[in-house]
Amino acid sequence: MATKNKEILFGIYSDEEELLHAVHKANDAHLVIWDVFSPFPVHGMDEALHLSESRLHIVGFIFGLLGTLTAFLGMTWIFTSDWPIIFGGKPYWSIPAFIPITFELTVLFSSIGMVVVFYTISGMGPGVTNPTLHDRITDDKFCIAFDASNLSEEEIDKRESFLKDSGAEEISTKVI
Amino acid sequence: MKTLTISKNHRTVCIAMMAIGVLSLLATFFGADDELHTRFWTNFLHNSVFFTGIALMALFFMAASITAWAGWYVVFKRVWEAFSLFLPVGLVLMVIVAIGNYVGYHHLYHWSDPESVANDALLQGKSGFLNDNWYLLSTLIIGGLWYFLARKIRSLSLAEDEQGENSFEHHRKMRIYAAAALPIVGFTSAAMIWQWVMSIDPHWYSTLFAWYTAASWFVAMICITILIILYLKAQGYFENFNRDHLHDLGKLLFAFSIFWTYLWFSQYMLIWYGNVGEETGYFLTRIKDYPILFYGNLLINFALPFLVLLRNSTKRRNGTMIFVAVVVFLGHWMDIFQLIKPGALHTAHELAGHAHDGAAAEHGTSVTGFIFPHILELGTLIGFVGLFLFVVLTILSKASLEPAKDPYLQESLHHHV
Repeated sequence: MATKNKEILFGIYSDEEELLHAVHKANDAHLVIWDVFSPFPVHGMDEALHLSESRLHIVGFIFGLLGTLTAFLGMTWIFTSDWPIIFGGKPYWSIPAFIPITFELTVLFSSIGMVVVFYTISGMGPGVTNPTLHDRITDDKFCIAFDASNLSEEEIDKRESFLKDSGAEEISTKVI
Repeated sequence: MKTLTISKNHRTVCIAMMAIGVLSLLATFFGADDELHTRFWTNFLHNSVFFTGIALMALFFMAASITAWAGWYVVFKRVWEAFSLFLPVGLVLMVIVAIGNYVGYHHLYHWSDPESVANDALLQGKSGFLNDNWYLLSTLIIGGLWYFLARKIRSLSLAEDEQGENSFEHHRKMRIYAAAALPIVGFTSAAMIWQWVMSIDPHWYSTLFAWYTAASWFVAMICITILIILYLKAQGYFENFNRDHLHDLGKLLFAFSIFWTYLWFSQYMLIWYGNVGEETGYFLTRIKDYPILFYGNLLINFALPFLVLLRNSTKRRNGTMIFVAVVVFLGHWMDIFQLIKPGALHTAHELAGHAHDGAAAEHGTSVTGFIFPHILELGTLIGFVGLFLFVVLTILSKASLEPAKDPYLQESLHHHV
């Protein structure tokens, strides 16, 4: 993914309640947040950031269906025409015997499909480096980040003072 | 705190439903052309087992939630308490069946017919467990134990309302009873299911059967919980019950529908694969004579909740949840129907054969109401629903709907999924 470098202005918070309040205040002040970082999911954050529901589960359903069909049709073809074998005196086409494998391939396809799609749309994969704003946002700190690349001096000041007022204990900028 | 007041309409509707039930039961009793009234007794047993099971599963799940330190369900926990206190009513109904065994009112159970047992090595072998005395005794002892636990948890929960802020005394005691209830209900429910339901086909057995029936009860319990809470919410009660609680009930309905299917299939596949004559007969009867119920069972109780509740948004909407809850509730009622009816019909035929020998066997019992739920079976269901609602609403009206001093109340009020 070709990314243009961005200048990010961010503030570090030490409490998720504070973070959530700050996001609400930023919304009220019409400050557009670029992103929020947290070591764990914060209840109410999706609504506060107006994030729409993930569509990853649709991918999961489609891949699951693909797995169901692959397993069921595959076994049907193998056991009726490609290499018919009689197991325990059952008919070649024995639906109950196919169910466990159909179930397993449904789960397998669905999970692998979702992982692959998630990594692809997130631009993650082997060799991708992930610029972090602050070392501790994967540990115990929370972060609100603004995209300051095309902002005037005055607007940057406004965001800085917002971060300070809302309880950020550390404010800095980083180009990523 | 808001307390439920039963309006005149509620009472009228409940009593009207019970009247429909009584009329249906009377019609099946006096309309029968066999002297054993098998149709009446199977309907009676079917609904008694179904609603007693729902009450028991409410107790079991409450005990599991308390033991797991769960808090999300506290805003509506009075509903499950009220369900669990339906147990004494259900047990009275089961005791009627048990006494019927003794006095010979009915021949629901092949093993309780001395003449059949005398000529049947298998029934003789099982007679240590399957006999009239133990049927009555275990219903009384085990049922009494269930009622004791339900009563205890309820009274401790009510005692919490009287306690001071931040007190944990009653809850600590409640945890002990809840933890005790888990293994007790877990093991004894299996024993009661073997006697109440599985012993209708006394030659057949399945080790999965108890779980399977309990899962059926559990799903039905969640369905009726959803329906009652949404109805009372529409009446202005349970103002703190929100979409997130509904979502979690939907997840339970979804998950346990799949769990039920898993057990259904595990039982079916092993018997199909093993192909042992005395085991396959059970499914052979159901596939040949009950194809609609047998396959419909999977469509209604698996495919429908699976496909409808798979999405996030359907579990958060009243309309879809009510639709699924109603259909799946009826689905599990019909599931129990096809567990009970074929075996009872077979027993009735066999006994009629004993009495009149030969051709009379086929005409001994009227088949109406055995192959598929007839209008009188539905009437009986309506009656039992009326009874269940009447008992539950009465118990709900006796305490505040929201347990004000439950230590987990705040967690439940701020529940977010």
